[in-house]
Amino acid sequence: MRLSWIFGSSMEAHHLLAAYVAVWLIQGGYAGWIAWQWVRAGKDLQPDLSLNTGEDEEF
Amino acid sequence: MVWLALTVVAILYATRLALVVAPTEATMGNVQRIFYYHVPTSMLSLLFPYVNFVASLFYLGWRRRDPLRALSADAVAIAAAEVTVVFSSLSLLTGMLWGRAAWGIWWTWDARLTSMLLLWLLYVSYLMLRKLSATGQTQTLAAVLSVFAAIDVPIVFMSIRWWRTQHPAPVFFGGPDTGIDPSMRPAFGWNVLGWAMWGFFLLTFRYALERRRQEREQEAALKSIEGSLEIAQ
Repeated sequence: MRLSWIFGSSMEAHHLLAAYVAVWLIQGGYAGWIAWQWVRAGKDLQPDLSLNTGEDEEF
Repeated sequence: MVWLALTVVAILYATRLALVVAPTEATMGNVQRIFYYHVPTSMLSLLFPYVNFVASLFYLGWRRRDPLRALSADAVAIAAAEVTVVFSSLSLLTGMLWGRAAWGIWWTWDARLTSMLLLWLLYVSYLMLRKLSATGQTQTLAAVLSVFAAIDVPIVFMSIRWWRTQHPAPVFFGGPDTGIDPSMRPAFGWNVLGWAMWGFFLLTFRYALERRRQEREQEAALKSIEGSLEIAQ
């Protein structure tokens, strides 16, 4: 079966295309949002790399 | 990354089977192909609430005895709730797109559709509670809500068995004379596999994100305590 019919003008073609595109967009969008939050949370977790001279420490 | 690559390959193959290889259904025509995405999505939207439910029970059991393990359980719970909302949203959306083409209506208040909408609302409420509540008992309240929300899952599953509905009768586990044509099974089976792999990927990725956030919050809390101790000295 050729796939060209899915881009036709009938209601069933529109709805089938919309259903498949919606699934990909929403699933991909959610995965992308997690990835974005993952990077943001990772940046906040970066260790403090400023030089610690130990001068302000009390023993 | 290997898992993600295998998942994407499985979904692409499953989509090809659904759109190109599977035969056109005799009465509904091509719009029946929505079934290959709608049914796996709906099945998974009834599975992840139980992950949320079990994780919430563990959270409630561990929250006083073992708070660190309880935090892990809570991370699983919120990840499962979010994935439930994603899959149930798509179940409702693809069902409406199919219904408009097959029945001529977008929506009807039959038992299956209504109980599924209720499930969606329950897990959206769960996420809103987690986002907006500032009581200090948010995780406990959410865990209790998830126990009640899980009650709706068997009602959704059984609704087309208990009541006569506009929604089609069960295709699987519906007794004799149910099931799909053998020529449609590969497309259906691969879509179930592919979307289940994707759901597991989302669950673990979202869990890892929540754990990372918890670590960040713990670090911030420790720094705050250290700061207040320095001031006290």
